[in-house]
Amino acid sequence: MPAESYFDWTANLFDLARISGKPEALKGIRVLDLSLIIFGPATADYLGEMGAEVIRVEMPGGGDVMRIVAPEGQFWKNVSPAFFAQNHSKYHVAIDLHKPQGQDLIRQLAAKSDVLVENYRGGTLERKWGIGYRQLREINPRLIYVANTGFGQWGPFIRRASYDGLAQAVSGFTAVSGFPGRPPLKMGIYIGDYFGACLSALGVLAALHYRDRTGRGQFLEVAQCEALLRAMDWTWVYAGLTGKNRSQHGNRDPSVSPSGIYACRDGFVALVAGSDEEFRGLCRAMGRDVLLADPRFATRAARAEESHAEALDSQIASWVRGMTRLEAEAVARKYGFAAAAVATAKDHYEDPHLRARGSVWEMEDPVYGKMVEHGPAPKLSGTPLRYKWAAKPVGFHNQYVLGRILGLSPDRIEELERQRVIGRWADRKGPKPPDDWTPGQGEIR
Amino acid sequence: MTDQPWETWIRQECDPREAFAEPEALDDLLVLDVSQESVAGMICTSFLAELGAEVIKVEPPGGDPARAWGPPGFTHQGEGLAYLAEGRNKYCVTLNLEVAEGREAFRQLARRADAVVEAYRPGQMDAWGIGYRQLSTENPRLIYVAISAHGQYGPRAAEAMREHDLTSQAASGLTFITGEPENDDAGPLGVPTKAGPWLAGYAGGAWAAFGLLGALHHRHETGRGQMVDVTPAEGLMRYLEYTLLWYHVDGRIRERIGYYDLAVFPYTFVRVKDGWAFIAGYTDPNFRALCRIMDRPDLTEDPRFSSTSARVRPENERVLREEIEIWSMLYTSEEILEKVMADPGPGVVIFGRVETPVEVLSRENWWERACFQRISDPVYGDLTLQMPVWRMTGTPPRIRWACRPPGYHNTYVYQKYFAWSPNHLATLRSQGVI
Repeated sequence: MPAESYFDWTANLFDLARISGKPEALKGIRVLDLSLIIFGPATADYLGEMGAEVIRVEMPGGGDVMRIVAPEGQFWKNVSPAFFAQNHSKYHVAIDLHKPQGQDLIRQLAAKSDVLVENYRGGTLERKWGIGYRQLREINPRLIYVANTGFGQWGPFIRRASYDGLAQAVSGFTAVSGFPGRPPLKMGIYIGDYFGACLSALGVLAALHYRDRTGRGQFLEVAQCEALLRAMDWTWVYAGLTGKNRSQHGNRDPSVSPSGIYACRDGFVALVAGSDEEFRGLCRAMGRDVLLADPRFATRAARAEESHAEALDSQIASWVRGMTRLEAEAVARKYGFAAAAVATAKDHYEDPHLRARGSVWEMEDPVYGKMVEHGPAPKLSGTPLRYKWAAKPVGFHNQYVLGRILGLSPDRIEELERQRVIGRWADRKGPKPPDDWTPGQGEIR
Repeated sequence: MTDQPWETWIRQECDPREAFAEPEALDDLLVLDVSQESVAGMICTSFLAELGAEVIKVEPPGGDPARAWGPPGFTHQGEGLAYLAEGRNKYCVTLNLEVAEGREAFRQLARRADAVVEAYRPGQMDAWGIGYRQLSTENPRLIYVAISAHGQYGPRAAEAMREHDLTSQAASGLTFITGEPENDDAGPLGVPTKAGPWLAGYAGGAWAAFGLLGALHHRHETGRGQMVDVTPAEGLMRYLEYTLLWYHVDGRIRERIGYYDLAVFPYTFVRVKDGWAFIAGYTDPNFRALCRIMDRPDLTEDPRFSSTSARVRPENERVLREEIEIWSMLYTSEEILEKVMADPGPGVVIFGRVETPVEVLSRENWWERACFQRISDPVYGDLTLQMPVWRMTGTPPRIRWACRPPGYHNTYVYQKYFAWSPNHLATLRSQGVI
């Protein structure tokens, strides 16, 4: 009896429709998220996709400033659309950290948490509010405490404030990207924040593995600038050996040629035909077998030489110009080299492959309705990552977190509200629910 | 307990120079890395190896073609620079998976391994009888990570396109929203633009390691392994914030806007006397601080710039950036940084020079933080390497060696796992098995 084909087997193994019936990798792990904006909340978010229960702490009233940092200043359902991408499936509680009773609630939560995420300047939580690592580990020695900052917890630069854009600049990432002679290339997203947050989450899981083996928690940190330094592949080895700067190569990958991004009739396509096999395929596809006999292109090394690569580049550019992106991809498939359309949001939204994989993730949130976002990146067969719900207004889950997780009585919770130790959203765009929200909608009873 | 200032205490606890005295988080793990020509595969196992895993890189007898990658026409002792940077801590063996004996040896190793990381075209390992389907029957605890261009499932999974960082960046959606817009200024260079470094590879590698470690925790609880499917394109895609939601809500296709920003301003690059710099002050207090430092109080009153929402209107961003540049071009980046650091507040300006790699390497900060180290490698000589990124009080990562040539550890690894003598290895070599 013939074995099931590989792709029938994988379709079964990773079937999106069966995700709900599968366990979560970080079930039973609780993350206390005290962080703000992106580089902090995203770390907690990635752990939440893996199944951790994430408690998101914000200040009562306004909450995280990210709620009002909106593309073109435009809100959607009373919140910035930019707030959702790093705040899935979290339990939102609003606690005033300036008040001793608020700090005490944090201590109680930390006692019951496995991971704490913060991105304040180093030492702030300890010095201002008595809830830093040195204090909390006394309460909970198993705690894994992760701190994300721009320049780190110690070192000559820690007094400097940092954003992702600064990290791109001071790490050298900007200087090795883009076209020579043009203004600096600003990445289209805050790459220092998101990639940095990803490395941070990865570090947490390494610490969790160690804790699984030994029972011990620890403190770890990631500096955003250093995350980008780490990601610059051969830049440093090269500078160390030659004393020279890596050049800007625009849209070519200097280590593989031909490679580039080319204009088509309906957009742009990236193309790589680096191996001898792929290059042969490309030449045949272009109907230019004569290139195979050209010594400039005879080997990988020859093709990679600057002037040779440029010569190939212009030939490919004129060949691709007359095609659509889909035609270019089809030709590449047929002749065995690599081509990928430079994808837009519309391309992704309409892509059945990405939808089948959950990389375009559609869900119905009880407060925000139908939403479509980019889904979790790694696909796990046994414990698939998933989004459960969207971000919520400030303090939306106060009752649940304080009543169910901390076990506080309704009277006690009311008292904390009266004393303004905890609170809910201010009545303004950003922290508050959509205009069509009715009390109780989406709440956990 | 808190007698020492935090900064002093945490530096002691996390001192990278003392890392070797501390335990390692992943040193109970055996990881087989059979990825070839894959940046993401290389990076994934670099991270694991930094954190202590025993990573065995299994290559064809000719070596992983990725070893040739790096700046064109430049190798160091026969090695491309990419692998010198990312070969860290890995044991290198050769094994020919195209022959039955090679596959059998791999199968035996996989029985004992905690994880396999591969980057062949989907279905290749399965066709060889050493895919997850087969290996998991013999080792149900195995975590099997597969990296590819389109993934292991979905309508495009069978396309068999080779994965490259460039095509992955393009497919991710990040390239479309990066670069100068099409206009007179940029001319033919107003095109979607890739990141210089292998960003898709690093994102894919990070997600692959993240997926593997999540699966590992699940295995700790349940004893069960699983498969992890990662594409570098989707790895970068996850970082695209509201890009898809915007399209869903409004039909808006996010476009590239050069050095402007959609959500916050000022948050941009400006010319300075000695090059370019990044400058930001987008909240009201921070913008006021910037105007104070520039001695331009009029800008805070100007209705085009007096609120966060006004400042992000595209036409206002253009004007404001030019106004800042009138000032910034009068000073060097050092001079501006001094002014920024000297300002008493309230509010804070974020500022930094666009540094070249050579300039970065001249900054004491990165060396004190041990982000770089000059390693004296017995095989490759003196190398400047970027160090592991995590600072950890309990299990700090570390680099034990930079990189090794193909087959360097054949004797050790095959003795350890198969009790194969050097004589036997010689036979296998002549048969093309290793």
